[in-house]
Amino acid sequence: MPFTLQSPVMLEIPADPACLFIVRAAVGKIAEKFGLHSKEERRCVLAVDEACANVIRHAYGNVPSGRIIVTFDVSAENLEIRIRDFGQASDPATFKPRDLADVRPGGLGLHFMRSAFDELRYESPPDGGTLLTMVKFRPKEEAFSH
Amino acid sequence: MNIQVAEKKPGVFLVALDGDLDMSTSPQVRNAHLPIFRNKKVSHIVVDLSGVSYIDSSGIATFVEGLQLSRKGNIRFTLAGAGETVESIFDLAYLKNVFEMVPDASRLFHGE
Repeated sequence: MPFTLQSPVMLEIPADPACLFIVRAAVGKIAEKFGLHSKEERRCVLAVDEACANVIRHAYGNVPSGRIIVTFDVSAENLEIRIRDFGQASDPATFKPRDLADVRPGGLGLHFMRSAFDELRYESPPDGGTLLTMVKFRPKEEAFSH
Repeated sequence: MNIQVAEKKPGVFLVALDGDLDMSTSPQVRNAHLPIFRNKKVSHIVVDLSGVSYIDSSGIATFVEGLQLSRKGNIRFTLAGAGETVESIFDLAYLKNVFEMVPDASRLFHGE
């Protein structure tokens, strides 16, 4: 029987880069239980780490008093990780990964996020901030068979 | 992040890193190794990544900056000892072939 969560698991951290290792550890373990191979698991860890780093950098302007809530939801069909912040919202239409042939510092985070997950959705909740939903479909061989 | 800098031979510097290289530690690494590129007596800088278990885009950006400085200063720049996780992240960024990457820093010094 594939691993699922009966209800979502929530992890709340301050917008402090020194706390990102906690998120990485949680993502790695949940992705492993979800059934991802080590390469895909590492990509998911990196992607969520980059998403949280973007929140710290852009939504909270490197002010560590902000809060980040990371929610994990594992169903028969997919792994869903939601990243909620209450900082300055940005227009997702302006998010663009850099041309990878252009070797220069920066601009890789979005590329890593898109490489790891099947869906990325940005929403602007009415009470402010941003909600990013990252969805990874369960590998076919791991899906429930009824 | 533990950072050790040593001049192994005249003009040849080894920067050994130990820990996760992420948004919280990249500034330390940047401050420790980028000034070496501005030393006119330096001919080769090796960063030993064997103690690094994780790297994010901020860590990679630090090394891309180093690469750019190495090209300007005509300094050889080598990343050594990257484990599977670190190497796969360079690969994902299409940077594995942009850097000189070798499996083991000590072998590099014995070979020079």
